[in-house]
Amino acid sequence: MRKQLQISILMFAAGLVLTACGGGDQQRTIIQNKGSDTLVNVAQAWAEAYQRVDADVVVAVTGGGSGTGIAALINGTVDIANASREMKAKEIDQARAAGHDPVEHVVGYDALAVFLHADNPAVSLSIEQLAGIYGDGGEITRWTDIGLEVPGCKNQEIIVVSRQNNSGTYAYFREIVLGKTRDFRLGTRDMHGSKDVADLVEKTPCAIGYSGLAYTTDHTKLACIVNQGSACIEPSVATASDGSYPIARPLLMYTSGVPTGKVKQYLDWIMSDAGQCIIQDKGYAPVRGVTCS
Amino acid sequence: MFASSELNQRNRNRERVFRVLFGTMTALLVLPVIIILVTLVVKGGPVISVEFLFGNPTNGMTAGGIFPALLGTVWLVLVALLASVPLGVAAAIYLSEYAADNWFTRAINLAIINLAGVPSIVHALFGLGAFVVFFGLGTSILAASLTLAIMTLPVVIVATREALQAVPQSFREACWNMGATRWQTIHRVVLPNAITGVLTGVILEVSRTAGETAPIMFTGAAFFLPFLPQSVFDQTMALSLHLFVVSTQVPGMPEQLPFGVALVLIGIVLIMNSLSIALRMYLRGKKKW
Repeated sequence: MRKQLQISILMFAAGLVLTACGGGDQQRTIIQNKGSDTLVNVAQAWAEAYQRVDADVVVAVTGGGSGTGIAALINGTVDIANASREMKAKEIDQARAAGHDPVEHVVGYDALAVFLHADNPAVSLSIEQLAGIYGDGGEITRWTDIGLEVPGCKNQEIIVVSRQNNSGTYAYFREIVLGKTRDFRLGTRDMHGSKDVADLVEKTPCAIGYSGLAYTTDHTKLACIVNQGSACIEPSVATASDGSYPIARPLLMYTSGVPTGKVKQYLDWIMSDAGQCIIQDKGYAPVRGVTCS
Repeated sequence: MFASSELNQRNRNRERVFRVLFGTMTALLVLPVIIILVTLVVKGGPVISVEFLFGNPTNGMTAGGIFPALLGTVWLVLVALLASVPLGVAAAIYLSEYAADNWFTRAINLAIINLAGVPSIVHALFGLGAFVVFFGLGTSILAASLTLAIMTLPVVIVATREALQAVPQSFREACWNMGATRWQTIHRVVLPNAITGVLTGVILEVSRTAGETAPIMFTGAAFFLPFLPQSVFDQTMALSLHLFVVSTQVPGMPEQLPFGVALVLIGIVLIMNSLSIALRMYLRGKKKW
């Protein structure tokens, strides 16, 4: 009977030994990189490409949102925190109190595009119209309110697609379109990822949504944005980096103190042409003009 | 004389109605399982290949394989089992064999039941606060597995306790009458007879552990880490999180890939389960009552 217990213990042990054989013995540096979901796909692409640059460095990428990354920087559990918003003064104080002096690195720009169904006849939308659609107490609830007739949209009622409220994208869109104090209207569809917004708008004629420029699909169209009576500006990598597109923001990486060693080499590589071409390839704007193959 | 009365007839009709009603309900319960499995096999089956199972993800995770995530899940489950099975079985032995039936034991039992009802995201935040930050384990397999272990402890404890209680009292009495101590009785008679029930608990735990995403997201699982874990202090990818990532976070993901990942996840759980089911059947064959 004792044997029966032994068998089960042996099985666990065997399983562990099997998995333990999985790895080799190389001495590797692991860079912990965590934060913004907006930046996570670029961070992943950088990490993947960097394997070919320096095989001794492994970059572990984790998402979770800008807040998650910044909290991890404050707790000292990451080397690089990704954020699609600037750290708040309170967060900087917390980090300093914990012995981490945050250093900001602008690694690219993100343009938030306004997504519409391919059948939607709208060409341009103004920030004021967006506020009317998204804002608490806003007057625009039907496409006909702004003189549009969307084919396939029942009652012309606008389906307002937004993001979950801990997303950096949510906070940024609110800041630009609604101002710091106004809330989003009730009854928005709050999606948990940038891609979900694009996917839903693609399938729903009545819908309007906002998401990163990188999430454009073949079956959605992007509205040209009018800001305070100016000519409308198309969302694009070019208009985001030159600052003319109104809903564009810097993408940031924070380190604890001025980076040194492998972390510095990694950040330098991100800022190089090779790194900046990757962020451009992912649909974001590079920090400067780069020529990519 | 034996002609059925109107009352009989009505009862019989009612009987038929309930039979059909409950039968339909049962069929409805099985239906989603069948639909899920068939969809996964049909859509995800073509993705599965040696390269998919044993390769690194490439091209922004839209191509290549899932081996780091696959191995990560195996690590997480095994380390969680190593932590929770001894602890859970020991607690169950105490509760079932040693503890007196008083208010204190009942309070412990109540606490265990409540622990089972805590949402997994709360366990996740507890794990982040306790293991990652306070104990300084960092985001690591160990921190994630300990979080998972705490989450699944109630399953192990409850299953083990029930298995122990299913062993007839007369077995213990016979043993005590031969002059055996309590521990001798437990270790030579009660536990061997209860091992099948304990394994049932382990099976349930494996399934839950492998599938959980929230508890490992903050404590040890990475979005992308093209590197096989070498020790429990490394971070790792995991299939459940990878499934979440490939189905919601990455633009331009081929449609079949998430189905393939889901199929592999279910496959791993089935393989781990069938190992312990086989062991259970073998042991049950030796049972003496």
